[in-house]
Amino acid sequence: MSRMVIFEPAMCCDTGVCGPSVDQELLRLSTVLNNLRENGVLVERYNLTNNPQIFVDNRTIHSILNQEGVEALPVTMVDGEVVKKQAYPSNEEICQHLNLSTSYLQAKFNVIADDCGCNDGSCC
Amino acid sequence: MKAFNPADLHLTKYIFFTGKGGVGKTSTACATAVALADAGKKIMLISTDPASNLQDVFETELNNKGVAIETVANLVVANFDPEQAASEYKESVVGPYRGKLPDAVIENMEEQLSGSCTVEIAAFNEFSNFITDEQAAKDYDHIIFDTAPTGHTLRLLQLPSAWSSFISESTHGASCLGQLSGLEGNQVIYQQAVENLANEALTTLILVTRPELPPLKEAERAAKELAEIGVVNQWLVVNGVLTDYQDQLSIALFEKQQKALKHIPNQLKNLPIYQIPLRSYNVTGLTNVRALLTKDRAEDKNPGPPIEVPHLEGVIEDLANTNKQVIFTMGKGGVGKTTIAATIALGLAERGKKVHLTTTDPAAHLQYVIEDSDHIRLSHIDEQVELKKYQEAVLMKARQTMKGDDLAYIEEDLRSPCTQEIAVFRAFAEIVDQADDEVVVIDTAPTGHTLLLLDATESYHKEIERTQGDTPPSVSRLLPKLRDQAQTAVVIVTYPEATPVYEATRLSEDLKRAGITQKWWVINASLQATQTTHPILKAKAGSELEWMNRVAKLTDGHYAVVKWFADDLKGEQLKQLIYSS
Repeated sequence: MSRMVIFEPAMCCDTGVCGPSVDQELLRLSTVLNNLRENGVLVERYNLTNNPQIFVDNRTIHSILNQEGVEALPVTMVDGEVVKKQAYPSNEEICQHLNLSTSYLQAKFNVIADDCGCNDGSCC
Repeated sequence: MKAFNPADLHLTKYIFFTGKGGVGKTSTACATAVALADAGKKIMLISTDPASNLQDVFETELNNKGVAIETVANLVVANFDPEQAASEYKESVVGPYRGKLPDAVIENMEEQLSGSCTVEIAAFNEFSNFITDEQAAKDYDHIIFDTAPTGHTLRLLQLPSAWSSFISESTHGASCLGQLSGLEGNQVIYQQAVENLANEALTTLILVTRPELPPLKEAERAAKELAEIGVVNQWLVVNGVLTDYQDQLSIALFEKQQKALKHIPNQLKNLPIYQIPLRSYNVTGLTNVRALLTKDRAEDKNPGPPIEVPHLEGVIEDLANTNKQVIFTMGKGGVGKTTIAATIALGLAERGKKVHLTTTDPAAHLQYVIEDSDHIRLSHIDEQVELKKYQEAVLMKARQTMKGDDLAYIEEDLRSPCTQEIAVFRAFAEIVDQADDEVVVIDTAPTGHTLLLLDATESYHKEIERTQGDTPPSVSRLLPKLRDQAQTAVVIVTYPEATPVYEATRLSEDLKRAGITQKWWVINASLQATQTTHPILKAKAGSELEWMNRVAKLTDGHYAVVKWFADDLKGEQLKQLIYSS
């Protein structure tokens, strides 16, 4: 499985709802990545506030920042190769790069076990 | 009621003072700290008010780590300002990357860490450090918090339980809280902070009030809300009680106070209740701090004959003639901003204006002061209601593209404490935007909260230029409008006393820094014009002159004086404030 990493500008929270307005792109991306994770596919996200060190350690992103500045973000890399700059990948692009069917983007059905481990059922 | 003598009382390790702004929290906390230190106890006194005036009281430059007060053995005072804590936090995150990442990147990080989230988190961090520090608990017999005006206090104190449940409920990775490095690692400290607050053997909450109904109601609200989060060891201290009377004015004041004390709300009735008598002097300087709990130093200052002072009419006339569309009343909590805002609204309505009177004060009592009429519309920015509205608006948008678990994910981020700030901010912007067809008079929250709100305005203004999301037009129009003197007027309200005037001066400077200029000041509740013969009240009236003169000079004569009234004026009665002084 290919490894996808997204480098993002400094921001308040993943969904952007803490900002002054709602960014639909962030809502879409956060939801899709969350679904992927629940389906066993991990896409890494790093932003300048929560993990500045990786922007120093990763040579590719470090040189992009030095040459093109913050405006280049968000940057998406697959197996170390830059596949997209200045915008988030679309759902189709994510599937294409990771070689997945679009069904992976849907929320996983939440399986709740019938037996929660207590006898009289009062604990849940 | 017994006199409040802290040295004779059994006190816990942690002591919190709270109450509506202007009731004398700082004075009482200082007097308590000094009395205990004088009795040989080791004391740490911490102010959490962003508009703190402890440096005025001790006449010492303070910091947020603690400074020993030279003239009081055993006393260390820290002035912990959430804004400063936030900027220190910001530097601790960004500092290590200077020179390693391009300047523009560093700026991007700094900008993001300037939001209200960071202030809340940094404030909380510092607060929980003080209340869980084992070394401090060993070094000091008592750690005393002179807390911020009530709305802010409640948020600060409620944060421990709000945030620890937020962290443990968080099912996905980084969120509004998680983005700040090491936060989850501090969970143990936060848990401990909550436990210490709710431990009656460790924590006492002292509710400070004046013998008047509005602050008593506010104290009741605080008592209830804090009891709900487990802070049950509560006392009530009534500050400024008049113990004798002799002329018409002192009789009126005495009766008013006694009436209020007869109606102490149920929630407070069964608490231990103490009183501090009314003093004639301003509690600045150590001599007066020491005297507060022990004796009145009624130097017989002669107030002299009533001096010629400008009326509120002049202010209203000017606001009407220059067609101001947004009018704020600002000042330290409890100086009568609501009353002045309502009076200005009445005066403008009288001059044929359509007025929208609104408040962001969490302790709003606007509805007790004035009622809706043809020319005046009332509204209130309720934080909880605005939060729900904002959450619903975001979810509605999200529902267009998502369902089920996806929505649950968004809902979780909407539960973060920062979201509330944004919700209130948007409501504020919307109301100011409505000024296009009516005059908006805004009775703002107490000073500390106001500052945070304005700071939010500033950082949002920057952020709006950058984000891609759909920003409501009202939000992007807000700051330019606030800065436009042709449209907006800020009226600073104060009492003719040291602390309110100091704070009003600081507020005025902060506003100027944010590019918002003010012209008018209103001096409220002046005893000077009442010709009282009661020795304490007369001395109080005499000490007003110094502060009136200072305001006259500061404002270049753009001020008005409003006389003290025994009755709580309502509706049409407020017009008396416009003309009489």
